[in-house]
Amino acid sequence: MSNDFAQFQETFFEEAGDHLAVVEEGLLALEQHPEDLDLLNKIFRSAHSIKGTSGMFGFNAVAQFTHKMETLLDLLRNGQKVVTPHIADLLLKSTDCLKLLIDAAKTGSAVDDKTVHRLTSELAAASDTKVKAEAKVEKENRSSSSTALASTATFLIAWTPPEWLFQRGLDPLQIFKELADLGTVSQVTVDTTKLPELAAMDPEKCYLSWTMKFETAKDRQVVDAVFEFVREDSVLSITEEVKGKELGVRGEERPSPLTPDGLEGEPKPLGEILVETGVVSRETLDHALAQQKRVGEILIEQHAVTPQQIEQALQKQKQQGSTAQSKKSETTSIRVDTDKIDKLINLVGELVITQSMLSELGVRFEMSQMPVLLERMAQLEHNTREIQERVMGIRMLPIGTAFSRFPRLVRDLSAKAGKKIQLVLSGEETELDKTVIESIGDPLTHLVRNSADHGLEAPEERLDNNKPELGTIRLNAFHAGGSICVTVEDDGRGLDRDKILAKAIKQGLVSEHEKLSDDQIWPLIFKPGFSTAEKVTDVSGRGVGMDVVKRNIEGLGGAITIKTALGKGTIFTLKLPLTLAIIEGMTVRVGKETYIVPLLSILESIQPKAGAMKTVVGRGELIDVRNTYLPMMRLYDVFSLQPEFTDPAKAILLILETEGEQVAVMVDEILGQQQVVIKSMEQNFRKVDGIAGATILGDGTVGFILDVRGLIEMSRRIVPVAA
Amino acid sequence: MATAMPETATKELNQQIGLATDGSQFLTFQLGDELYGVDILRVQELKGYTTVTKIPNTPSYIKGVMNLRGTIVPIVELRTTFGMATIDYTILSVIVVVVVRDRIMGLVVDSVSDVLNISQEDIQAPPEFGTKVDVSFLNGIAKCGDKLVALLNIDRLLSENEMQKVMTVTA
Repeated sequence: MSNDFAQFQETFFEEAGDHLAVVEEGLLALEQHPEDLDLLNKIFRSAHSIKGTSGMFGFNAVAQFTHKMETLLDLLRNGQKVVTPHIADLLLKSTDCLKLLIDAAKTGSAVDDKTVHRLTSELAAASDTKVKAEAKVEKENRSSSSTALASTATFLIAWTPPEWLFQRGLDPLQIFKELADLGTVSQVTVDTTKLPELAAMDPEKCYLSWTMKFETAKDRQVVDAVFEFVREDSVLSITEEVKGKELGVRGEERPSPLTPDGLEGEPKPLGEILVETGVVSRETLDHALAQQKRVGEILIEQHAVTPQQIEQALQKQKQQGSTAQSKKSETTSIRVDTDKIDKLINLVGELVITQSMLSELGVRFEMSQMPVLLERMAQLEHNTREIQERVMGIRMLPIGTAFSRFPRLVRDLSAKAGKKIQLVLSGEETELDKTVIESIGDPLTHLVRNSADHGLEAPEERLDNNKPELGTIRLNAFHAGGSICVTVEDDGRGLDRDKILAKAIKQGLVSEHEKLSDDQIWPLIFKPGFSTAEKVTDVSGRGVGMDVVKRNIEGLGGAITIKTALGKGTIFTLKLPLTLAIIEGMTVRVGKETYIVPLLSILESIQPKAGAMKTVVGRGELIDVRNTYLPMMRLYDVFSLQPEFTDPAKAILLILETEGEQVAVMVDEILGQQQVVIKSMEQNFRKVDGIAGATILGDGTVGFILDVRGLIEMSRRIVPVAA
Repeated sequence: MATAMPETATKELNQQIGLATDGSQFLTFQLGDELYGVDILRVQELKGYTTVTKIPNTPSYIKGVMNLRGTIVPIVELRTTFGMATIDYTILSVIVVVVVRDRIMGLVVDSVSDVLNISQEDIQAPPEFGTKVDVSFLNGIAKCGDKLVALLNIDRLLSENEMQKVMTVTA
């Protein structure tokens, strides 16, 4: 029963995701064409669907929030309100928030209530039709520019300090001073009724209590924080007075973060409050935090537990974490065009017909029918190949799904960086394997962020250089041979050769006297920790990322190249395999064994001249390839095989490249080139060093696919052991 | 009807029809002159010996991998595992495909013999010595008529840890 329900929920989340995409896309378009009623209707319908279904599944937070959005959308649709940049922005922010809410409903995690409440009230304010639209816009602009509550609030504070106040060296006057710093204190009355006779009075006890009116522009939390140190044993009530109405009354207890109409978020960490109230500086706090120890360490120090016990507990924690995670990403599904399925069914029909024709032929076969047999075999082969292609095609999605996040990203980036940027997308219909699409999202995002932040110049600089003020980032996808190319292009300042070189020399990546060609210099930006950005922004520039981009792309079996011209712009080209399940490989032979080398990593294959091989320290072998010495590796050595040739001059050398490193691998013979389906070795066995996976060869036996990276590491390990 | 029968009679009848009441069924196979058994519920299928592809840098008892209808399955040679002399494969050589902790593996044996019902009371604890096998790989030994069957603990025999242990020693 609950399982069935979970299945429907899965569908809901999937659909909600689709609807959200429609809403976001629509809102972005709406910004450009505020008058477009069709668009508005589309957005409204999607929002309405989310509201309806989420209510049905009991995700009330989602339903309530969407309802608020829907109200505003409805007003826009009816023409009672006009789409202003502010409203569009608010709706986009709300979409983000809705996304978070839906994610929270999915994973059961907590949501930042503060944002939700703020947006809810902003939406409600924007939906208020009584005020004139223009005035409204202005007011909203103001409220959105300052994240805190815009208007000043009046608090009624009644405070009865504990008797021990003075004994602990605390001074009520200090509190009043602090309040005065935050706002205006008025109508202070002091209650002296508890004061005893002078003779009976203990001068170290506090008998007074105060009530006051306090007006401030600050958050309620800030007001609360003032009383942080005297809160214990105090009788304190802080009441907010808004339009003569009380919004929330609070006594001693901490606020519940879920109070339905309170404007509170979760309580802040102590350190934050200390910094805010100026008790300590940010540096002191950071220093103190750095000294903080983990619970485990403290317990070990106190000899309460042994390190082993902690280790076990941590292991357990990790396991629980990972099971929770694996549970989250349990089901993935894919939507397939009905057209594709229909074609597949037709093809299967054809296959069945061909098969029955063949078996009929086989029952009473005569040699004279040989041509017919051959023809039908050819037919069968044709059918099989087509079915294989179509089945693969089911996993293929248009790359537009990966591109769809960029209009929003670029819009936000251009606002943040104060640059005018237009995004041009093309080739969205190019199809790619679902896994590849999912994995290139982050690298692409990084490249686009980089282009927007560093690639494109500020508007003034562009105008100075006779460029249009509007910068362009172009995303394009197209087929090229057996792979897909995705380009990220900007018309910005381009890569600065000298700057990169200077930085590389400073970091010791290249020596000062090295002569490098452009093609050798550009890849330097993919080195970990490399950034020439003069200032680090929160968008990019920390030098973390480009190396990750490169690693991700290479992990997919792809490659990344750079073309750039100073002052004109930069083009990053990602070359990706169509699918991860099939690779193009070169079959090679060593002794009796057959191996497959991924074609992407092969630069060339050569048969060296006798004497082209040199040794270093008697062990490391180098081979002279057109005056460059490359390390050489004998595959039979690494895999302990019986080769046909041990003389490099008789064997074949494959020059392989991975992650910028080149190595020559010696094999007996090249057998040919073929597409191979990658099969997992780990499923039933384990990872084998130097082998990336297995495949079934034409004769039905198993062949291994070489892992070039692994081979290089293995050969490095072997040398010291042997020496 | 059956309830009216004395207990021993029921058991006899069950044994005749090949149904073990308090024990389980074992697939037995031959290695040299010795008879071994594995729990039949762990056996996925039997396959005639086909060519396997040697995996580089693995201990000798791992013969290699084979293609089992598109799945890559590692093959373990039991003779080598138990330190027996290797023999040439004959037409009787069989790969017993077993499932160990969701992993599929193949065991090469000289020949398969029979499926036996062995009741719990016929199973003894493994002896301390006397066979060529490291006794920790045995669940016990069973008497079945005049035959003696060594019951293998394949979880222990083929568990990843054990394999890795052996591998690091040999490497």
